[in-house]
Amino acid sequence: MSEPTGVIHDIGYRHYDGVRLGRAHATLALALHSLRGVFGLGRTARAKIIPFLLAGVMMLPAVVSIAIMALIKQEAIGYTTYAVTMQAVLAIFLASQSPYTVAPDLRFRVLPLYLSRPVTLIDYVGAKLAAMVVAMFLLLAVPLTVLFVGELVIDLPGPAHTSAYLTSMAGAVAYAVLLSCLGVAIASFTPRRGLGVASVIAFYLLTSAVSTVVAATLESVNDYTAAAWAWMINPFFLVDAAVQVGLFGAAPSAPTTYPAGAGVAVAILLMLALIALSVTALVLRYRKAAAR
Amino acid sequence: MNGVIAGISYRALLGRRRIWLLIMLPVVLIGLAVLLRVIGSGGENATITLMRTFAIGTMLPLLGLIAGTGVIAPEIDDGTIIHLLAKPISRPVIAQTKFLVAASILALFAAVPTFVAAYLLVGLESGVASGFAVGALVGGVAYAAVFMLLGVLTRHAVTIGIVYALVWEGVVGNFVPGARRFSIQQWAQSIADQLSSSPFFSTEITLGFAVPALLIVTVGAVVWAGQRLRSFSLTGDE
Repeated sequence: MSEPTGVIHDIGYRHYDGVRLGRAHATLALALHSLRGVFGLGRTARAKIIPFLLAGVMMLPAVVSIAIMALIKQEAIGYTTYAVTMQAVLAIFLASQSPYTVAPDLRFRVLPLYLSRPVTLIDYVGAKLAAMVVAMFLLLAVPLTVLFVGELVIDLPGPAHTSAYLTSMAGAVAYAVLLSCLGVAIASFTPRRGLGVASVIAFYLLTSAVSTVVAATLESVNDYTAAAWAWMINPFFLVDAAVQVGLFGAAPSAPTTYPAGAGVAVAILLMLALIALSVTALVLRYRKAAAR
Repeated sequence: MNGVIAGISYRALLGRRRIWLLIMLPVVLIGLAVLLRVIGSGGENATITLMRTFAIGTMLPLLGLIAGTGVIAPEIDDGTIIHLLAKPISRPVIAQTKFLVAASILALFAAVPTFVAAYLLVGLESGVASGFAVGALVGGVAYAAVFMLLGVLTRHAVTIGIVYALVWEGVVGNFVPGARRFSIQQWAQSIADQLSSSPFFSTEITLGFAVPALLIVTVGAVVWAGQRLRSFSLTGDE
């Protein structure tokens, strides 16, 4: 008589009896892992070069400014103009790193693996977005804070620019949220990292070039009200107009004054609408990707 | 030149989402030209500003980046380049074919819209339209070669290309005059300047420097890419 086939043997696998940390913990772990990945931590040495190089370039104006303050006791770069001055670097960082957060998972189709855990789709998208937002905030907030600490240590004549620093920090939050949502949403539409980088930078270059050209044209026919609106096509000036100038009354960083009064409300609404649109697009994109 | 490789490269460039980026940029350029015309400030001076800042300064490097890296980087990323390299086709021929594909795409999506946009604004007046079209064509060919080489050399081709186009040609070129001598955009503008007789347009790089520089960069990049493919080793994805 032959042995029965197809018997499942007990080969000693054991159940996990430990504490199950649950959904919130898994989401937090995913966000932290993504945040580390944005800066290349836990990845190859080559992946660290670009983020840290760009972070170093972001620090340069702060360091130079502190040196100028120490030597000739004069303010060099304003807090609220920092992001606008360094917008090319911020845009390159956003373009080069936001595809990293979304592209590999889409390309290797590992989304079902994540979603078979307690993490839901919204958690996944939220974790990825949060990682990019925190990364962009750190990129901007660290130089601003270093600059402020430098100013306090050097102790310039006159009062410290505490309110300008706090305004710029609020601006940094707004910049980080808007730029990250836009960047991750655009990058999520392609599973290819290279194309994602090109799409995000194309978005930034198009908006900044279009706003410059349109505003210059409108100013040449003396339509300054419309020109002020045209500057806000560039997301950097939009945040400046909505948050730093509109809510906190800083001086504008664009070579113009922004629309006042109802214009501020419209700028804020526009910013919130852009964020909502990006998040919606991102969620819809992932619904589709998860269904495959 | 190999017809099959060219066909595959065209399909990779035009058959996916990449084509929307390639179409969007020229559409925005022509849209801006129409807007300028409608507002009524479409003089020769405004046309030249639009051409310099947008057509040559923004659109050309972006299209060069998308087309130049797009012909080869996705295949290297996927690892499907192995199938291509395993065929008995000379590797320099592969590089040359891919370069020609990228260059032809740039002629279609960069040089032609540049001519159309300038023509919409000033017609054929003082050779602005044809000058910038030829400038965009020559600059586009050089960008295609350089960015294709970058795509073969590194996985981060697009990011490095952006840093070159934005930081070196944009920011550094504005502060350090010497950096402008080593910028494809400036060489393209010299060619455009030579062909147009507009008094509003002048460049500092002489034609005697720009033409040899363009030739050396283009030919050098294609040859180097071919040599690099000959000893190509696929490294794992990070």
